[in-house]
Amino acid sequence: MTAAVERPAATRHRPSTFALKQVMAITGVVFVAFTFIHMYGNLKVYWGRQALDGYATWLREVGYPLLPYKSVLWALRITLLVSLVAHVWAAVALWLRGRAARGKHRRRAMPRSMAWGARTMLPGGVWILIFVVVHLLDLTVGLIVAPESWAAQGPDGLIPAYDNLVASFSRPLMAAYYTFTMFVIAFHIWHGWRTLLQDWGITGRRIRVVWATIGALIALAIVLGNAAIPLLVLTGVIA
Amino acid sequence: MILDPRVPAGNPSTAWARRTSQYRLVSPANRRRMTVIVVGTGLAGSGAAAALGELGYNVECFTFHDAPRRAHSVAAQGGINAARARKVDGDSLARFVIDTIKGGDFRGREADVVRLASESVRVIDHLQAIGAPFAREYGGQLATRSFGGVQVSRTYYTRGQTGQQLQVAAAQALLRQVARGTVNLHTRTEMLDLVVADGRAQGIVSRNLVTGEVDFTPAHAVVLATGGYGSVYFHSTLAMNSNATATWRAHRRGALFASPSFVQFHPTALPVSSKWQSKTTLMSESLRNDGRIWVPERPGDNRAPGDIPEEERDYYLERRYPAFGNLTPRDIASRAARDEIEAGRGVGPLRNSVYLDFRDAIARLGRDTIEERYGNLFDMYLDVTGEDPYTQPMRIAPGAHFTMGGLWSDYDQMTTIPGLFVGGEAGHNYHGANRLGANSLLSACVDGWFTLPLSVPNYLAALVGSEPIDLDAPEAVQAMREVEARVQRLSTNDGTVRPVEFHRRLGEVLYQGVGVSRTDAGLREAREKVVALREEFWRDVRVAGPADRLNQELEKAGRVADFLELAELMVLDALDRTESCGAHYREEYALPDGEAARDDEKWCNVSAWETTADGAHIRHLEELTFDLVPLAVRNYR
Amino acid sequence: MRVEIEVWRQDSPEADGRFETHVVEDATPEMSLLELLDRLNDQLAEGGVEPIQFESDCREGACGACGVTVNDTPHGPVPQTPSCRQHLRAFGPGRGGSPNLDSGSSASANLDLGSLLKLRIEPLRSAAFPVVRDLVVDRSSLDRLIQAGGHVDVTTGTAPDADDLLIGHDDAELALDFAACIGCGACVAACPNGAAHLFAGAKLAHLALLPHGKLERTRRAGAVVDQLDGEFGPCSSYGECVEVCPAGIPLTAVAAVHREKLRAAFRR
Repeated sequence: MTAAVERPAATRHRPSTFALKQVMAITGVVFVAFTFIHMYGNLKVYWGRQALDGYATWLREVGYPLLPYKSVLWALRITLLVSLVAHVWAAVALWLRGRAARGKHRRRAMPRSMAWGARTMLPGGVWILIFVVVHLLDLTVGLIVAPESWAAQGPDGLIPAYDNLVASFSRPLMAAYYTFTMFVIAFHIWHGWRTLLQDWGITGRRIRVVWATIGALIALAIVLGNAAIPLLVLTGVIA
Repeated sequence: MILDPRVPAGNPSTAWARRTSQYRLVSPANRRRMTVIVVGTGLAGSGAAAALGELGYNVECFTFHDAPRRAHSVAAQGGINAARARKVDGDSLARFVIDTIKGGDFRGREADVVRLASESVRVIDHLQAIGAPFAREYGGQLATRSFGGVQVSRTYYTRGQTGQQLQVAAAQALLRQVARGTVNLHTRTEMLDLVVADGRAQGIVSRNLVTGEVDFTPAHAVVLATGGYGSVYFHSTLAMNSNATATWRAHRRGALFASPSFVQFHPTALPVSSKWQSKTTLMSESLRNDGRIWVPERPGDNRAPGDIPEEERDYYLERRYPAFGNLTPRDIASRAARDEIEAGRGVGPLRNSVYLDFRDAIARLGRDTIEERYGNLFDMYLDVTGEDPYTQPMRIAPGAHFTMGGLWSDYDQMTTIPGLFVGGEAGHNYHGANRLGANSLLSACVDGWFTLPLSVPNYLAALVGSEPIDLDAPEAVQAMREVEARVQRLSTNDGTVRPVEFHRRLGEVLYQGVGVSRTDAGLREAREKVVALREEFWRDVRVAGPADRLNQELEKAGRVADFLELAELMVLDALDRTESCGAHYREEYALPDGEAARDDEKWCNVSAWETTADGAHIRHLEELTFDLVPLAVRNYR
Repeated sequence: MRVEIEVWRQDSPEADGRFETHVVEDATPEMSLLELLDRLNDQLAEGGVEPIQFESDCREGACGACGVTVNDTPHGPVPQTPSCRQHLRAFGPGRGGSPNLDSGSSASANLDLGSLLKLRIEPLRSAAFPVVRDLVVDRSSLDRLIQAGGHVDVTTGTAPDADDLLIGHDDAELALDFAACIGCGACVAACPNGAAHLFAGAKLAHLALLPHGKLERTRRAGAVVDQLDGEFGPCSSYGECVEVCPAGIPLTAVAAVHREKLRAAFRR
């Protein structure tokens, strides 16, 4: 067939765009599951220092002595790290492909909520990536941004998660940063979850509604469960 | 010259089966050495190209569109008829033939109509299989509806977009062959001449619309499926780019043109409401079931329709045709509207339309019922005009719609040039002097899928072993030179007027002179005007821009130049045919009640015109005989 | 009514394009967008300027030939309406061209006739649609998707009786919802990623619902999605394609692309 304009033969991408989207989807689900479980663990803070510190310590001991000490934790950490690398790599690759396919002429965005969700995925993702680093330095590693009183082990031999958390969130800036980021994460999950419908080819009208609602509820739970903690610390409810 | 359509002798009911069993064949190994050109990718063109490609012929397919799917078959709304006769409503193959012949006022070829009816059955099967999602009953069977001019339900449909669905399915089938390499598709390439050598069609000259390159493509046979010429009227229901250039160029190379004056005007087109309106939109005929058509009694009445009291309204169809009222056949409704508009009682800003009023229907049935029946049409009207038909009457006017005339062909769809075949609206043989609704999609499909793929190979069988004509054959070089000279002349003409302006003026002349009703004096005047306009065109046309790249002005100029020649032949044919039949209504030849008065003694035939090199027109005749449907006066009262 | 039109001019595929500004003084609310361009072209021709090349054919919204970007929106400000059916009366004044959606009640009254309407008209933009000239683009990439697999492998004359293949009413209607695509390419132009998933998905979903089309779903999905990958961008669920689609193809068409591909992946 004659094309009006001569152009090079279609490029075959490797890996395919479809494969990249599946990588995004699967790793995305890993993160949603992680975030949700992480939030669920964080709820221990409402039961007091003992509960949270015990939970943090248990995370390192789980499976022991059948499995080596911290092995489950590291397995999870490696899974998350691999997922993170894959998720970010796929996102960047897709973004580049999208830019190339769009061509050099940009168009102003249309005012539409769904498109707004999609548009914020990339900056939101970068924000979250930075947050992950800050968060690990702050409460896990205890470097640079961590509160001065940060400690790796408490006097009772447990991980002093509760004190570290209170110390960190007592700084208003850090509390605000955490709270805001929870909204960013919720938004990211909301749109990402909805995108799963498309990526996994769910076409049934009713299941699409149910699915989208579940995503919205997960996002809401994460905001309510997590963002409340820094606020409660600041207001002195948790001390 | 009396033309011989080469219809198989004997019973017309079995003619097609007998003919196909006698067709010569080409062995599969020889097929890929035979090249067939198909021009046009509408239902007839896509079908023929795909089917010939499937058979293994080497097909070169041309369209001026950017994609095969855009051909104007895409715009048909209503449906496609088929004589499947599954319901117990009395339909049958014979009934289909009777309806079509009668609808065409006994000016179509009976044996061809029988073929149309018999092949219609598998047309539906095939289109369904290649992807047209026909409407279904809840039980899963194909749904049908009834259409104008018949009393049975034989119209298959896909919502209001039947043409679109069939066209997209056909274009897909064509692209499947492109992918397989059997069809070489040339998009944005326009046929500008036919090459005839040794008395046979042996290729075409085309122009690449993007680069302006003029090229010769040789072939063993050429199929023209380039549609009708209704757009000659400027304002028509046809697409902006529909044109007659391919058929007209073939005509100038010797293919006779049949019944050029047989043009169907649709009564429920939307009127032209401003100078800048580019075309007329068609509204479904079904609106006349509940709408009442009227004009103010007093000519030049400027009041808003709502301010005109009941006693000053003239429901002229109900008055003149009390039995049928607003449901008179298309040609009668169109003529009556024209009478009122001519008498100065037309309405709207340009006084060129009549009211189609739903006030009484809404009062009687309620707005909900009307919305349910016609909601989408009312929305479309609102969309086009900005007027709300629920609160003020619609305005409608007759619009040029379908051309029954076209290149004359014999029973095998071959024109008077051996090796040049024709399919779809570009041809002439089925619809006589008036086409029934939903028969045009059918005729295009039957030609494309089930006639040409059988009859073209029969012709090719005699050419097996021969090579296509050389690229530098004198006839080809000559044709290319002529095309280039014409393009050159158009693009460098030292004039002042855009081609579109000539088209607009030609349309006005034709609506006036060779429109819904014609008179001897009006036709003579029209002829003079057309000739004068043509001379003015060549003197004063101006094509801006160069010829070596995409230039729509240049495309338009070439098409208008051909329209200006064709228009004269239309007028001449209308003048020559001293009778009224179907859509061809001569005021001098009317029954006392105003119905068309056919003259079967003199005009039971098809006029097929020849235009000589110096522009003289010679009429030839094909005599028509009717074995299955006895000649009778059409009566819808 | 005055309309100021900033319009894209480009002499050839290789040439650089530019915007030109023209004013049409005698526009009317009844005019369609394309009739406005017709009027402008007449004016340009009078002034000895070459008319603007743009595509259109049926002007009824069926053929898909027309399509220009108006004030950053493919086809124009009225959602889900092809360029040929966008009328000036529905445009709000000013550059935003915010559509006046209830053009229903005496539409022209809503328009301040004294005001100046500003329109910026450019081609459908996408790397997959190179400009041929002015507002005309090459959309053959869409046809290459159909060529790759958007068809049904049935040879002429071999189809069984269509009445013997029962298709439920609702399945036929659903197939039609997807088959309604007119192939205009606005979805691709609307997509910030230059994706053609709405177009491809409409075809895959349409054919997967019909008895013959079902038989080659696996092969078709592989071929079409490969082709989609090669010439178009990824879908990020922006949903802007749905906003501009004149045929009202739903977003589930995009899901259908992945459904068919996943189904094929697990069947091979």
